[in-house]
Amino acid sequence: MNDAKMTPVEAMPDPSRRKFLNTAAFAGLAGAGLSVGLSACNKETAAPAAAPTAAPTPAAAAAAGHNSVHLKPGELDTYYGLWSGGHTGDFRVLGLPSGRELHRVPCFVPDALVGWGITNESKAIMGTKPDGSLRYTVGDTHHTHASYKDGNYDGRYAWINDKINSRIARIRLDYMICDKITELPNVQGFHGIFPDKRDPVDPAINYTTRVFCGAEFHIPLPNDGRDLESPEKYRTLFSCVDAETMEVRWQVLIDGNCDLAATSFDGKLAATNQYNTEGGVHYEGMMSAERDACLFFNIARIEQAVKDGKFTTFGTSKVPVVDGTRASNTDPKTALVGYVSVPKNPHGVNASPDGKYFICAGKLSPTATVIELSKVLEWFDGKLDDLDKSIVAEVEIGLGPLHTAFDGRGNAYTTLFLDSQIVKWNVDAAIKFHAGDKNAQYVVDRLDVHYQPGHINASQSETMFADGKWLCVGCKFSKDRFLPVGPLHAETEQLVDISGEKMVLMADHPVRPEPHDFIIFKRELLQPKQVYDINEFPLAVKDAKEAGVFRDGNKVTVKITSMAPAFEPREFKLKLGDEVTIILTNLDKIEDLTHGFAIPKYNINFICNPQETKSVTFKADKPGVFWCYCTHFCHALHLEMRSRMIVEA
Amino acid sequence: MNLLSALRGALSSLILAAALATTSSPALAQTAYEAALPPELGTAAALCDYVPCAEVLPGATSFSERKGRPPYVEAYAEENGQRKLVGYVMLSTDITDTPAYSGKPVVTLIGMNTEGRFVGVKILKHSEPILLLGIPESALVAFNNQYLGKFVGDNIEIGRSRPDEGIIGLDAISGATVTVIAQNQVMMTSGAAVGRQVGILEPTVRPQARFVDGGRTLDWATLVAEGAVRNLKVMPEQVGLQRSATPFIDLWFGYLNHPEIGRSILGEAGWRALMARLAEGEHAVFVIRSGGNESFKGSGFVRGGIYDRVQIRQGQDAFTFRDLDYLNLYGVNAAGAPAFNESAIFIVRSSAFSGAFPWKFIFLGNRVDRETGARTFANFDTEYWLADRHLEGGRPEVIKPDAPWVKVWKARALEIGLFAALLVAVAVVYANRDALTRRSTRKNKWPVNAFKYTFWVISIGFVGFGLLAQPSITQVLTWFHSLLFQWQWELFLTDPFIFLFWIFIILTTFVWGRGLFCGWMCPFGSLSELIYKVAGAIGLKRFQFALPMKWHNRLKWVKYGVFFALLAVSVFSMGLAEMLAEVEPFKTTFLVGMFNRAWPYTLFVAVLLGLSIFIERPFCKYLCPLGASLAMPSTFRWFGLKRKQECNSCKACAVGCGSLAIDEHGRIDHRECMHCLDCMVLYTDEHACPPLAQERKRRTKAGLPLTPIGADGYYIPIKPVPAAKA
Repeated sequence: MNDAKMTPVEAMPDPSRRKFLNTAAFAGLAGAGLSVGLSACNKETAAPAAAPTAAPTPAAAAAAGHNSVHLKPGELDTYYGLWSGGHTGDFRVLGLPSGRELHRVPCFVPDALVGWGITNESKAIMGTKPDGSLRYTVGDTHHTHASYKDGNYDGRYAWINDKINSRIARIRLDYMICDKITELPNVQGFHGIFPDKRDPVDPAINYTTRVFCGAEFHIPLPNDGRDLESPEKYRTLFSCVDAETMEVRWQVLIDGNCDLAATSFDGKLAATNQYNTEGGVHYEGMMSAERDACLFFNIARIEQAVKDGKFTTFGTSKVPVVDGTRASNTDPKTALVGYVSVPKNPHGVNASPDGKYFICAGKLSPTATVIELSKVLEWFDGKLDDLDKSIVAEVEIGLGPLHTAFDGRGNAYTTLFLDSQIVKWNVDAAIKFHAGDKNAQYVVDRLDVHYQPGHINASQSETMFADGKWLCVGCKFSKDRFLPVGPLHAETEQLVDISGEKMVLMADHPVRPEPHDFIIFKRELLQPKQVYDINEFPLAVKDAKEAGVFRDGNKVTVKITSMAPAFEPREFKLKLGDEVTIILTNLDKIEDLTHGFAIPKYNINFICNPQETKSVTFKADKPGVFWCYCTHFCHALHLEMRSRMIVEA
Repeated sequence: MNLLSALRGALSSLILAAALATTSSPALAQTAYEAALPPELGTAAALCDYVPCAEVLPGATSFSERKGRPPYVEAYAEENGQRKLVGYVMLSTDITDTPAYSGKPVVTLIGMNTEGRFVGVKILKHSEPILLLGIPESALVAFNNQYLGKFVGDNIEIGRSRPDEGIIGLDAISGATVTVIAQNQVMMTSGAAVGRQVGILEPTVRPQARFVDGGRTLDWATLVAEGAVRNLKVMPEQVGLQRSATPFIDLWFGYLNHPEIGRSILGEAGWRALMARLAEGEHAVFVIRSGGNESFKGSGFVRGGIYDRVQIRQGQDAFTFRDLDYLNLYGVNAAGAPAFNESAIFIVRSSAFSGAFPWKFIFLGNRVDRETGARTFANFDTEYWLADRHLEGGRPEVIKPDAPWVKVWKARALEIGLFAALLVAVAVVYANRDALTRRSTRKNKWPVNAFKYTFWVISIGFVGFGLLAQPSITQVLTWFHSLLFQWQWELFLTDPFIFLFWIFIILTTFVWGRGLFCGWMCPFGSLSELIYKVAGAIGLKRFQFALPMKWHNRLKWVKYGVFFALLAVSVFSMGLAEMLAEVEPFKTTFLVGMFNRAWPYTLFVAVLLGLSIFIERPFCKYLCPLGASLAMPSTFRWFGLKRKQECNSCKACAVGCGSLAIDEHGRIDHRECMHCLDCMVLYTDEHACPPLAQERKRRTKAGLPLTPIGADGYYIPIKPVPAAKA
């Protein structure tokens, strides 16, 4: 343990609690790989805490009159939640406020239930090596955000990142499946992701057409073995992906790195916070500067530059890369990017629902920085001499601020990782305080959460329609909050009622590690389809009469249909060494009547939803009788639902 | 409760057994009357495992499971080793619950070939009393056989064929009109329901609605007031459960395609999102359950994908919903909407449906017979029609096909008119009886009798044998039960003559007493007394007699006993009561015909009519339960016959009272009186009425003038006019 090296922090804003939690908090930070002080930020006087944080949460007392999170049988949740799954590599759908997990959508990594990574269709989306095997089988999803129209979610798509292999996946929200995956060129540590909300130029495009992706890790460009020992030449890129084609439209070469991303409601700006402006390769180097930055991208100008051919490319990638370095963007009137300074290794940049501000949380600084977007645009127009003048507030809110959510009533809710708290603070009051009104009480409330919160989001918080009903906080440590299940703990997604003045903790929902970010929105905004459209599948076997074995030399296609409780054909013959493709269409039209198809000893299992078609290709390399059977319970004769695969020696 | 019903069951089976023992014939055991059907019949997928489908679809060797909505099965034949579809078999109660005369459906198995022609009909079960006793069941079989070879799309009606109107007529069964009208409806509805599903009949295409959108967003009360949201409530007793104040199910529903209604219910965004999901010709209807514990979704949609408890019907088209036609209804925006705990948006995917025309939302329930536990089909519906203000140009004109009873009234309008005129004439004549009786004397009663005998002949010939409109005690029993359980006007209106007759009977009984019907209009009563009169006239008078008063006064109570016995039995078993109602010779005499029945019935009628030669109206006096049932309210008639003071002692008219209705005190028993008016003739006959004769003699002797006879039956007294004051 290296907490012995820790330097105690002086003059904490909230002494009573700090003393109590001191050791644990730093132990947590130590666990996260940080072993040095947080001293830089505590010179100023303590923030005027409106509520003493050690006061017990008024949970039980205030709970009366709040909506219950416990639904009666048959009652439906009122909100959808879209969750990242962390390094399980998946995308999850939760119902809120119950916290029930309704669905997992496999995208970056194989999934044995649906046969993701087994079927030819899923492999084509995931990407394969020349030999047909999957290129990647691990993933690390952090952030998911959905497509917009008119400032609200439109239910078309959600996107999710894979930090390990720098891939972006698109989830179709009508079928809740992954339909495209794109690998970003020349980047590593793809972390932040955010779709735009409208086009910066064309007012008719009032919906999402771009997705922005930030890369955390500095690498040589191109990363082909050059400059291995010259870290000063390592760079990061900010990428823009087309929402429809999923092709990378353009990239921006920047100074420093990208962490999280945000976009403005007017479509003009995208931003990413930077915690490693230093370009350090070890953490000491990464945290050496007192201020890092929040980097703003002028989308219209960047696209004009690309159009004007002012770009370069790296390596084999054809993606145009424009120059967003500080040195090349000194004149605001032509600048593609602008760097706003933000204290020490900020984390999280969040757009307020009123469209006015981006808020960066300080992480190693106990502050939140409020940047006014209209001033950033003024700077780009040459009307503001110093971009840092767009900072309208920089106030202390607590230790280890990470992410911020909004209630649509002017309040921000920021997770304090080290304090294991949420702080509710008023943005306007903070701006007044920053402007010199020291009587402005910007902290409204504090709430203990359990424990060490990371991401936070509120219902509709990322839209113009933030409704201030529910707040969910992803706690990275659950410790004693659930029945022990061994060393690996579930994480705690805690649900907070924010409809009143005080926050009320309503529920602990365990989740399998380890989700990062999530969004919560009204159930009316999604209209998932009930069954597939058989015509969307070129290979569909639309009638049981079309089923059978079709041989072309040693290439054999077996067309199979399923209709509870039988497969058609009920047996099929192959020869040893055949290269076999099985196409299965589930002809059942009944909602929820999904069939599975498993082939013993051939390591094959996948499911076919009603009216869906899937295929698998394998080599018939084992002779014998193999009972292909339905793995997904379907009918009273489910166990009898089989087809006999006979491989003749 | 259980003990009581067990007792009741035991009693009724005992009575039934006794009744059957007396009338039993081997054929009876084979009939479909109240035949026991397998309990799985209503629910089993493999319908043909339980009923003889092959009998109604000749040539078919195998059958599918029930499919479709409403359900039917496909029939297959083997042809060159290939399975070939040869037709469809349907169970009538799967499709319609049209009740027959008994109030219960005739459960019929119907076969139809792939061209839509009926190829077989089999009665599995009926509850028609007339077919149990009286008309042989073979008559219904013969009736059903008329359908064979006929096309389901044809206009088939009971009655004459009218080729110019494209109507194919079927011969009815005399005396069982209600049964065959119901049966025709069952056949045509069932055939059409399946024909439309399998493509034999073209679906109707209705012009789509054009909505008026005033941009209004309405609250719940306004929606309800404008008929844009309607209620369908089913109480537990309607489905055979214990009566309760809590509804079995309480539903509200409305049509969402209309912009004002859709927006009011779903909110602007929600409505737009829903409409965006609908294709051309698709319609969304919302349903919420605001009360009751029964689910309108059920669980049928889980396995079969079909919601089997709700349906929409427009004209002849039924629209059912699959699981894919269901969407979540997350909330109702309209202010003041009731709280609900089950909800749905159902989508009608057919341009046969149009919001411009009326439609019905139907809850398909089951009625449980609490005695047997047997379930029968019970549908509950509420009509919905957008108001004029919701539709461009207002509601379109809709020609609804006439209800069966309306058809009957239209088809027999002339006879109905004549019959009504007859009834009015009788009432008018009787109302003016004073004028007639004054014109008559004991010697010459023709002014009265000319009318009365004319009405007798008309009622025997036209009303009885012609229209078969002989009222019966069974109708009283049926109404008694209807009042207690379920009153269906349609059922009674199906027989217009009986319907009108009863209006006449009820009115006249309370105004004048039952004698006007019994003595002047009852076909059998008229026949009975006519025989007596004719026999007297042709010289058999000397053999004619009346029972001694002592015996008459005892025996007259028998008919009340018969009535109450029938009423009591009917509580236990309507069927048995109907059987026992054979104590009335009416069915044999008029409805079926004396020579169409088994000899015991004919003999019974022959005895009664034979006795009528010698005794005036023996059946009416001593046995008739209908007379008894009418006699009791006659106690409360408004206008009785006239009496004068001397009647107490004189009793001259009692001697001539054929009904023996005048007692030793000279009082007329209006329960027994047949309104022959003989005593009223005497009342003003100055030669026959003793007090009058006496006065006439006194005045003649005294040389006083004979003033006219006043309303009180006396000469108008002579009062000397006082001398004018000087």
